[in-house]
Amino acid sequence: MDDKRILLVEDNADDEKLTLRALKMSNIANPIVVARDGAEALDLLLGRGAGPFALVLLDLRLPKVPGLEVLKRMRADTRCRFMPVVILTSSKEESDLIEGYGLGANSYVRKPVDFHQFVDAIATLGMYWLILNETPPALVKVA
Amino acid sequence: MSTAATMLEPRANPAAPGRYASAILGILDEFAKESMRLQQTALLNVLDDSHAERGRLDETRRALLNILDDASAEKSQFAHTQRAILNILDDSANEKLQLEATERAVLNILEDVDAERMERTRAEAQVRALNEDLEAHVAQRTAALAAANQELEAFAYSVSHDLRAPLRSIDGFSQALLEDYSTKLDDDGKDSLRRVRNAAQHMAALIDDMLKLSRATRGELNICPVDLSALAHSILAALRQQAPERSVEVSIAPGMVAQGDARLLGSVMENLLSNAWKFTGKKTGARIAVSAEAKDGELECRVRDNGAGFDMAYARNLFTPFQRLHLATEFPGNGIGLATVKRIVARMGGSVRAEGVPGEGATFCFTLPLAR
Repeated sequence: MDDKRILLVEDNADDEKLTLRALKMSNIANPIVVARDGAEALDLLLGRGAGPFALVLLDLRLPKVPGLEVLKRMRADTRCRFMPVVILTSSKEESDLIEGYGLGANSYVRKPVDFHQFVDAIATLGMYWLILNETPPALVKVA
Repeated sequence: MSTAATMLEPRANPAAPGRYASAILGILDEFAKESMRLQQTALLNVLDDSHAERGRLDETRRALLNILDDASAEKSQFAHTQRAILNILDDSANEKLQLEATERAVLNILEDVDAERMERTRAEAQVRALNEDLEAHVAQRTAALAAANQELEAFAYSVSHDLRAPLRSIDGFSQALLEDYSTKLDDDGKDSLRRVRNAAQHMAALIDDMLKLSRATRGELNICPVDLSALAHSILAALRQQAPERSVEVSIAPGMVAQGDARLLGSVMENLLSNAWKFTGKKTGARIAVSAEAKDGELECRVRDNGAGFDMAYARNLFTPFQRLHLATEFPGNGIGLATVKRIVARMGGSVRAEGVPGEGATFCFTLPLAR
């Protein structure tokens, strides 16, 4: 379980810190890679030296390349077509939900303001996607 | 034997007056008789003829009289016919006048129809021009409204993202402080941080409610028949599931179907029923009833509870956003639910009203068009 890597795509430094804290408090010890904008995310996912991730936590509001665009390009590439993507964002706008699911997101979670709830949500996500869910076979190996 | 012949025969008596004389006398006699006979015959003939003639004259006279009669009858018939013909001529003259009058009338009507048609064509052209104008205006307004709506959407989107993120930081790092520095903080310090967290969460709830309220007026309406009974059932089932320890007597009238947007009406029922659920929280023997009555082509739906109720004196602000009649410590809430209900129902073309008695309960009514 530990060699499954998590990609956190988050531009907000506060949210990044809180998410990492939440992951730690949920006892999720997997290696976590952070991308701070859409271009960096695409580079880590599809660029030279890209490696597989067992889970991508994707924020929608990103500089350079927006989150939905990142998702679209991921799904267009055979390496990332089945990679589990959880959209983790503040927005509950129906249009984002529709577009997110339409482009092939596996899950859509709205970031709660209450930190306790946030920790619970991250714990649940970690439990489900890293332990319970069967990842697509090719992604288990680390490059 | 003829007289002449007898005359020439020797006579028996020679003494008689001379045979010749007697013969001549006899002949003269004969002639005289004959002549008289002839004359007589002639006379008779003439008499006869004149008689016949007279008869014929009479006849002729009669015939003439008849002819005269006939002529006179004929004349009177002619006169009659002449009169008839004159009458016919008169009538035909009248008829001709009438025809002329009718012809003039028809011509007048045709003229009027023509004039009317031209009027109508002119009016139609005017109406078309006005319609085009109107459509242009409507299109302009619609474009302006669409632009305003889009701005609102962008604003709401921005609100949901940009305002919540800092709140998350406030809450998260306050919690981090509480957890990581609990030994270094005294009770006052911990209390302050807790208040900071509560405030951040409260603000998040306000933002969410405001977004809900704005969503009630944004977006396209999808009008169709909506089963309010089914909505009420599923909402109350969800409420029961969230608080299984509560026992609330529920009665929902079947077959309440109204015309409106399903999603927004769901929001209305959700707000009213969760209010009823909330405000009966402190009542034993809590009861919630949902019913409806069709009236004048509208459906009036009622949600009644026997909970905390409210004072009608303060009811004026019941549907105003953020106005509450209870303390947050008594019953939680932001004061957005009823404002949302009012806005949605108004958008469907209906109205809301409420009645309440403190300590006894409240009834909320809203009207909607009946499902077609």
